Amino acid sequence: MSINVIRFEKVTKAYPGHPQPALDQVSVDIDKGEFVFLVGSSGSGKSTFLRLVTREYRPTSGRVYVAGKEINRLANWKVPRLRREIGAVFQDFRLLPNKTVTENVAFALQVIGRSRADIKTLVPETLELVGLDGKGDRMPDELSGGEQQRVAVARAFVNRPQILIADEPTGNLDPTTSVGIMKLLDRINRTGTTVLMATHDAGIVDQMRKRVIELEHGRAVRDQAQGVYGSQA
Amino acid sequence: MQLRYVFSELGQGLRRNLSMHLAVVLTLFVSLTLVGMGVLLNQQANKAADHWGNQLQITVWLCKADDSNAACTGEVTDAQRDAVIAVVEENPEVSGHHLESREEAFEKVKELVGAERFEGPNPAATAEDMPESIWIELEDPDEYKGITSAVTGLDGVSGIRDMRQTLKPIYGSINALQWGALATAGFLVIAALLLVGNTIRLAAFARRKEIGIMRLVGASTLYIALPFLLEALVTALVGVTLAAGALGGFMYFGIHERAGDALKFMPWIGMEEYGVAVLCVALLGPLLTILPTLVLTRKYLKV
Ligand SMILES: Nc1ncnc2c1ncn2[C@@H]1O[C@H](COP(=O)(O)OP(=O)(O)OP(=O)(O)O)[C@@H](O)[C@H]1O
Ligand SMILES: [Mg+2]
Repeated sequence: MSINVIRFEKVTKAYPGHPQPALDQVSVDIDKGEFVFLVGSSGSGKSTFLRLVTREYRPTSGRVYVAGKEINRLANWKVPRLRREIGAVFQDFRLLPNKTVTENVAFALQVIGRSRADIKTLVPETLELVGLDGKGDRMPDELSGGEQQRVAVARAFVNRPQILIADEPTGNLDPTTSVGIMKLLDRINRTGTTVLMATHDAGIVDQMRKRVIELEHGRAVRDQAQGVYGSQA
Repeated sequence: MQLRYVFSELGQGLRRNLSMHLAVVLTLFVSLTLVGMGVLLNQQANKAADHWGNQLQITVWLCKADDSNAACTGEVTDAQRDAVIAVVEENPEVSGHHLESREEAFEKVKELVGAERFEGPNPAATAEDMPESIWIELEDPDEYKGITSAVTGLDGVSGIRDMRQTLKPIYGSINALQWGALATAGFLVIAALLLVGNTIRLAAFARRKEIGIMRLVGASTLYIALPFLLEALVTALVGVTLAAGALGGFMYFGIHERAGDALKFMPWIGMEEYGVAVLCVALLGPLLTILPTLVLTRKYLKV
């Protein structure tokens, strides 16, 4: 039907017990290979948007298409397959503290049944891509925040997903470290991966000059190519 | 599928929650043993009922020469015997009867007690010491009062024996034990289910980070649930093994060694019935752990 990797058609998401919907009639098309920032004040619905993409939630009304599949109609047992097409990175890294860097990244492949041979080549390759070669045997608490986030990016990308979503990935990092992470996401985007990133970080958005979608009280109020963080720019 | 992770998780899971798993195993062990006992007792009752079923007869002893019953004036006469038989034949509760001679009675006693004691110069008893008797089969085993009172007090009747009066307490005890065992097992089964539920909740909580990441990267629900299911299976197998052992012990020491020797007139359960009980336990055990695991993993590990 379309080559959109992500397509929202008049999507509304209301959480049970909350009269005000977290997303309100949002329509958005994102093509393959795009880099998109999702901005907006706290509570505007950015994380909700991302959770609809990963099918953590279903929309209350409207349609969500991800990687060619309609999320509303996707049977529960097919959800894991969809998630293998999506890598996800969060503000709090979410690494397993009792596993080494290599084990953390390999874990993502192991649990979806990839062969040992695949794991042996993909994991070091990806660690090198994110700039962590030589640190594979470290434990997460032996790494800086920026390095931990690189591990998280490696884990999200190791299965070469079509889409990478990032929910405030630089939220816990200082500006210099953040720039490094953004360079990494840009590099991943250049491999053809669609990147969708929710952020509060105006400096980064203004610097990168990518497409910006702004949410306000759950509505998409701005969709701008090569945009900036603030609406008045 | 790569199962290395699953098995290392299984080992870790069992160790991490050892006290909880022990609680599950012990509860399971006791409840399964009681269920097995219930099944054994049920089979014992059936076996006895089968064996005696149509033997639940009423026996009318006729007077013998020097009868201990004062109502007897001497050995039953032909006229008296015919009169008693006539009464029996007339009675609607009776489906059949036959007369047992002294010799037949003597043979039966010899068979029951052993022939040696009745041979040689000084036998414990002779055929002459045995009474004649009429063995009455009933239309309906529960309708026996009419015939009993009709025969009681007739001339030439020394006594009446109703087999049921003898067996009733035995049946009663077996029944009571059976239901007692099953009812207690019922409570323990509930306890076992709750414990299994708690164990899974704890395990899911301890592994919530891993589970979150597995869902995130697209591990299948079965793969995520597999360590839980294997844990459930292992605890069930240990519980079943212990219960089968305990039941085996009961069969050997309780029935084979003791009751079987002392109470020969009862037909006792054996290997076959033990097999049935173990089969019941072996089916119930895994069901008790895997069913709640399936339900709860669906709840806790929702995609
Ligand atoms: N699980 C939930 N249950 C109920 N309400 C929720 C839930 N998650 C979010 N909300 C509500 O939905 C609205 C949008 O939340 P969302 O997390 O999408 O905002 P956000 O843009 O990501 O905010 P932030 O920048 O602070 O992360 C908020 O009003 C929030 O309170
Ligand atoms: Mg958010």
